[in-house]
Amino acid sequence: MNAFDVWVSIVLLVVSTLITRSGFFLFGHAVKLPPKLQHALGYAPAAAMAAIILPDLVTTGGAIDINWTNPKLLAGIGGGVFFLITRHLLGTIVAGMALFTVLRLAL
Amino acid sequence: MNKETDAGDSRPDPAVNGASADVAATAAIAARRIEKEAFQEGWRASASTIPAVAAWGVVSGMAMVKSGMTLWQSLAMTLTVYAGSAQFAVLPLLAAHTPLIVIFLTAMIVNLRFVIFSAAVAPHFAHLPWYRRVWYGYFNGDISMGFFPRRFPAHTVHQPAGKIGFFEAICYPGWFAWQIGAIVGILLASQIPESWNIGFAGTLALIAITIPMIINGAALAGVVVSGAVAVAAISLPYRLGLLLAVVIGMAAAMMADKFIDKEKE
Repeated sequence: MNAFDVWVSIVLLVVSTLITRSGFFLFGHAVKLPPKLQHALGYAPAAAMAAIILPDLVTTGGAIDINWTNPKLLAGIGGGVFFLITRHLLGTIVAGMALFTVLRLAL
Repeated sequence: MNKETDAGDSRPDPAVNGASADVAATAAIAARRIEKEAFQEGWRASASTIPAVAAWGVVSGMAMVKSGMTLWQSLAMTLTVYAGSAQFAVLPLLAAHTPLIVIFLTAMIVNLRFVIFSAAVAPHFAHLPWYRRVWYGYFNGDISMGFFPRRFPAHTVHQPAGKIGFFEAICYPGWFAWQIGAIVGILLASQIPESWNIGFAGTLALIAITIPMIINGAALAGVVVSGAVAVAAISLPYRLGLLLAVVIGMAAAMMADKFIDKEKE
């Protein structure tokens, strides 16, 4: 990716932060989101996260790799289980990276 | 600009009460003390999150550099964007030469939760001038959302006392912790070999953020469908699979909601 596009992306991300976080602070009294839309929007972030996470877990170097020899897939599942049990964000990153490293060297 | 009146304000308002300068001065001192005490209360409530925020900042700093961004690009991104999950989401897209419009839409979708958050918090600050509302909105992230509504439920909306102090305490230290962590990560990243795949820590962080978002069966349906569609559509150009997956995932969640409601009846 060329430098110009990266800088434009940074500006776009700032705009996105401002619209989503400050938008309601600015215009909240003028806008009333319909409850149904609010309800639907509530599910969007989790769906977006899943759509980012899963393709990363099931690919190796861009090719689909759904196998027990894919360390990212196994460490991702391991990290998810670790979080479900401990509810600890930092611990999940550490445990998941440790598992990933062990699997990467072993498989 | 601001028609909101502080009808339920518990503290005396010097502008209305300005018969005597003494009264006004005393009121101002009292108001400052309320905000200061609220700041201390907010700090006590949220201080325990600081180490995790800093550590996550380190991961974000490393992930930015490892995705191919330069030192200055990484510093500019962390200091201005200040939205970790959107940054993590966009980094692989940047590396994959994704069109800017898809990058923007991805950031918007990942940030959508902030719209919901700010709809809950913004009314509490409606009495402030617009530039201060933009300023406080900018800091209204995941951590502040975890603490502010618990301390100030919706029915306190017309009682501004203590809110600014509390809000600043749950936001500013976190901002500094995140930025210090990110800068450390940016500087350390070059010391870490490529094969360690440190960017994977970003994916692990996203997993840990996503799981608490799965609040019910419908959200789970949305996540499963969206993930499956994203994998199935992986070969679509420009990462369009991502947007397709989110739309179909949201629709699946809404349908599951309807289905679950019918089951209950």
